[in-house]
Amino acid sequence: MKLAFKLVTVLIVALVLGAGSVILVLRAGGLGNEVTVGPWETSLVTGSSQADPYTRARVAIGGLLALNRSETIYFTAPRDDAGDTLRVSCSYKVIGSDLPARWWSITLYGEDHYLVSNLQDRYSFGGETVAREKDGSFVITVSPDETDGNWIPTGGGQNGDTFTLTLRLYNPDERAAQNPGGIVLPRIAKEACLS
Amino acid sequence: MKTWPMWIAGTIALAAVFHILTVFGLPYGIMNRAMAGISAQAGGVNKAIYPDRPSAEARGIVRPSPDLLYTACVYDVSKQPVKLTSPVPDTYWSLSTFAANTDNFFVVNDRQVKGGNIEIILAASDNAATPKGIPVVVAPSARGIVLFRSLVTSEESVVEIDALRRQANCEPL
Repeated sequence: MKLAFKLVTVLIVALVLGAGSVILVLRAGGLGNEVTVGPWETSLVTGSSQADPYTRARVAIGGLLALNRSETIYFTAPRDDAGDTLRVSCSYKVIGSDLPARWWSITLYGEDHYLVSNLQDRYSFGGETVAREKDGSFVITVSPDETDGNWIPTGGGQNGDTFTLTLRLYNPDERAAQNPGGIVLPRIAKEACLS
Repeated sequence: MKTWPMWIAGTIALAAVFHILTVFGLPYGIMNRAMAGISAQAGGVNKAIYPDRPSAEARGIVRPSPDLLYTACVYDVSKQPVKLTSPVPDTYWSLSTFAANTDNFFVVNDRQVKGGNIEIILAASDNAATPKGIPVVVAPSARGIVLFRSLVTSEESVVEIDALRRQANCEPL
């Protein structure tokens, strides 16, 4: 009886440690972060047969059916330029210029990796839809409160208190595909937070 | 003799085994769940579904792009090859295939397709009997997911692109 109790305890503790350590490792790595450009992170082996088991597990949880990087590069930003976690109660300016790809887009996802509901049904802006400044650059406001111009709502926290932005580069230029770390990506500047 | 060091070592070793099994098993488990969802909607394997444009209500696959219309099917080449067909629109479009471990083992986009239509055969091996003239892609796993992506360039183009993507299909040979 005493031995059986010990064996069950070992099994439970090992299961918690084993599965818990996987969660910690996968959370620490986001969706893959071998390459970082400012607040943006990406993995060079997403979707590829060279992906290691941890990358496959990350992709399965947060980016199932992602294409390999010759077709699409996915950058994800969980933080702003200052390194602070992106929060639904804060306002940000995403400032950049057209990106080296046939088509690009920036999309907001909640903590649960799904789109965040809002009255406007607006979740993203891309090369085809973003309004540009006179010099060709763009400014996208990401905030809980409606603003003029390009605005992506952060929602009311229904998908969690934090969010991430995903930047997709479909059919990236050859140089960009070869060296994603060399791409100039948009800045993410925090403006203010609701108290 | 004290036995607690042996119990601790055993617990750590078992935890390492659970860790490895979880890491290796997660992609298969999540793909299986996705395949079950798609085939349930389609009424079986090798049949396509045409989901609505992704919105905040979409809960099928994580991180969907709201700028794309997707067509998906679960392929199963264990009994016979599967033929994938689709018209190719005049916008970004791709056909991609994913193995049971999540690997994207094949992708082709609109710029790589000659003519306005594509035909591809997925097979379990190079030796499978297939019609001549249609490219054959060997699937690394018997089951997996086929995903067609069509870019919505403007709200005005949705109806036209939606009509085209509904002609995409997966069917057993």
